[in-house]
Amino acid sequence: MIRKLAIVLAIVPALGFATACGGQSDDEGGKVKVVWWHGQTEAEGQILKDLADEYNKTHPGVEVDPEVGTTNVDEMLQKVQAALAGGEPPDVAYMYGSWSSTLAATPKVVDLSSMVKDPSFGWDDFWPAAREAATVDGKVIGVPSVVDNLGLIYNKKLFDAAGLPYPTKDWTWDDFRAAAKRLTDPGKGVFGTSYVVTGDEDTVWRFWPMLWQQGGSILGSDGKTAAFASPQAAQSLDLWRAMAVEDKSVYLDQNGEKFLPLFYSGKVGMEMAGPWAMRDLADHQVDYGVVPLPGYGGNHQTISGPDNWVVFDNGSKRAQAAKDFLAWLTKPEQDARWSLGSGNLPIRQATSKLPAYEKFAEQFTGADAFLANQENAVQARPAIEGYPDISAAVGDAIDKALLGQATAQQALSDAAAEADKILAKG
Amino acid sequence: MAADALTLRRRHARPRVRLMPQLTGWGFVGPATLVIVGLSIFPAVWALILSLRDDNLLAPGSFVGLQNYRDLLDDPDLRAATLHTLLYSVLYVPGSLVIGLPIALALNRPIRFRAFYRTCLFVPYVVSAAATGILANFILDPQFGIVNDLLAGAGVARQGFLQDPSQALLTLVVVSLWGSVGLPIVVYLAALQDIPRELLEAARVDGAGAVRVFRAVTLPQLRPATVFLVIWQTIDALQLFDLVYTTTKGQPLDSTTVIVFYLYQQAFQLFHAGYGAAVAYALFVVTLIVSGAALWHARRGEAPS
Repeated sequence: MIRKLAIVLAIVPALGFATACGGQSDDEGGKVKVVWWHGQTEAEGQILKDLADEYNKTHPGVEVDPEVGTTNVDEMLQKVQAALAGGEPPDVAYMYGSWSSTLAATPKVVDLSSMVKDPSFGWDDFWPAAREAATVDGKVIGVPSVVDNLGLIYNKKLFDAAGLPYPTKDWTWDDFRAAAKRLTDPGKGVFGTSYVVTGDEDTVWRFWPMLWQQGGSILGSDGKTAAFASPQAAQSLDLWRAMAVEDKSVYLDQNGEKFLPLFYSGKVGMEMAGPWAMRDLADHQVDYGVVPLPGYGGNHQTISGPDNWVVFDNGSKRAQAAKDFLAWLTKPEQDARWSLGSGNLPIRQATSKLPAYEKFAEQFTGADAFLANQENAVQARPAIEGYPDISAAVGDAIDKALLGQATAQQALSDAAAEADKILAKG
Repeated sequence: MAADALTLRRRHARPRVRLMPQLTGWGFVGPATLVIVGLSIFPAVWALILSLRDDNLLAPGSFVGLQNYRDLLDDPDLRAATLHTLLYSVLYVPGSLVIGLPIALALNRPIRFRAFYRTCLFVPYVVSAAATGILANFILDPQFGIVNDLLAGAGVARQGFLQDPSQALLTLVVVSLWGSVGLPIVVYLAALQDIPRELLEAARVDGAGAVRVFRAVTLPQLRPATVFLVIWQTIDALQLFDLVYTTTKGQPLDSTTVIVFYLYQQAFQLFHAGYGAAVAYALFVVTLIVSGAALWHARRGEAPS
């Protein structure tokens, strides 16, 4: 039993210990080594491995070593935490955009400002929301690895069966609610839509577009107080509450892993989802369409959750080699192979002008709609260190409202009070 | 002088004679010591230092003394997590004994297919908690799970189970009991077979009925096993994590956020590794006290007999 206790106490250091044992040397046969934790498996991992092989062939002085790092990117930061504690971080790692502020405060993260400022890099060609999400207080903590946005995907068969017209790009949230109600059929176990109620960022980021569409913002202009508990935001949350509690048209997904499979099997009519679903949708041969999110007063803003390649400092030689590799990797030709090959949107606009994109758009229904929807991704979440804590408070508030345990205004006001406390701590 | 010289010579002489046996001894103990120091003591000390720091393991943190421990006392979320853990333990520990003992008694009788039943009851214990959790998620899904289909067939209203804030923790207790009742059964079975036959026979000869034999002979003889199980299951309950992680992730509405899951969230999702380590240490101390108290109580109970 002592051993069992020790395991709990030792989650962190044991990981560090384990990685510290697997040393990585700077030079391997005179070559500069770049260890690349990409977090991708199967077909996606193979694409990246092929790219690394090609780079190694054409760049004799460098050895890019692609490793999975972790099969679940949710745990990537945790893994790198442990690797840093052991003193052997990877040179490049795949990181979620929501971690940017924490990464910016990490001294071992290499500032890529000078690299992206180089005209040959073409930083202006990247999507504005992705650039903003990668920049924290003037420090560029990474370059986009995957960009996405939330749109509305709908199952055409279910709409036909209910005799409803398909959603349009001019839909309001009231249209959305009415359709969800009509689609719901408890007898057949069919829901109009679903919402992820894990209470973490997966819950929270689906809510911010509704706030932004009404001119609201997450924080006040001074960045010191929470501004998300506005009456308009409460009204939006109340719409979801009413759909979940009164209409019972919302499937509440507690672990965030069921809502898409349910959509694939025709049990949910509409989902807020991103381009990452297109591959599975094609595999399951779902007859679906994609439109931007419903809006308020013609404003259809969405949210983009760009992920980044982040460089960690293992000495200037390796850092430079890692930067050179990333500059190559994000060129349109390579981006077409990685992003389009893995069923993602191009990370830069030039890629969408290549012939490869046309093929991609033909292959995946809704690719054009998601690409066009990038224009609606104009705001990013605040890049402050307290964001994860604030997100946790808002996640609780949304869950409370959707489960009918509090009014929308009460839940949001409580979360805002908590957020103010977090912000005051700094 | 002579005596001094003698002791001096002896001092010199001793190590030479004992060197080999000592080396042999260390040869046996060494590897295990290294493993314990490397994988238990070193991380434990490291975590203790971490618990005194404001640190996220990424940026250089700062030493804050006992601030993390002071924060523990004024953390409503931690208080809620503690309550959930206590409620879980209070249901799980006695529950596993109360269910395990009768099954062990039944399996101790000469019945047909006994080995088969024993295997069946022990299999869930061998299955990893992750698999148990995923399985529970499937069959207990409120909308699409088989349990609710059966309930609906029997005319009972559909339940929320793991997605209903007032049922989730209870459901977890039931799932845990299913997954772990194999241990008390096996331990009690072994203890039952250790009870001397003469004791039972003597009691019967003295005219004791089945109930009396059970209460006056079997139960007291099972005492060491019970003490062991109470301590073991309590530690198990206080450290509940994997099942929560694979089923509810602390939801709905944090109603299944137990202490270890809370410290995981703090350390790895909200980047408060120092605070998480402090929670871990507080839990360690509590576990130590609880185990110590149980042992002390057991010893005191044994003393008069």
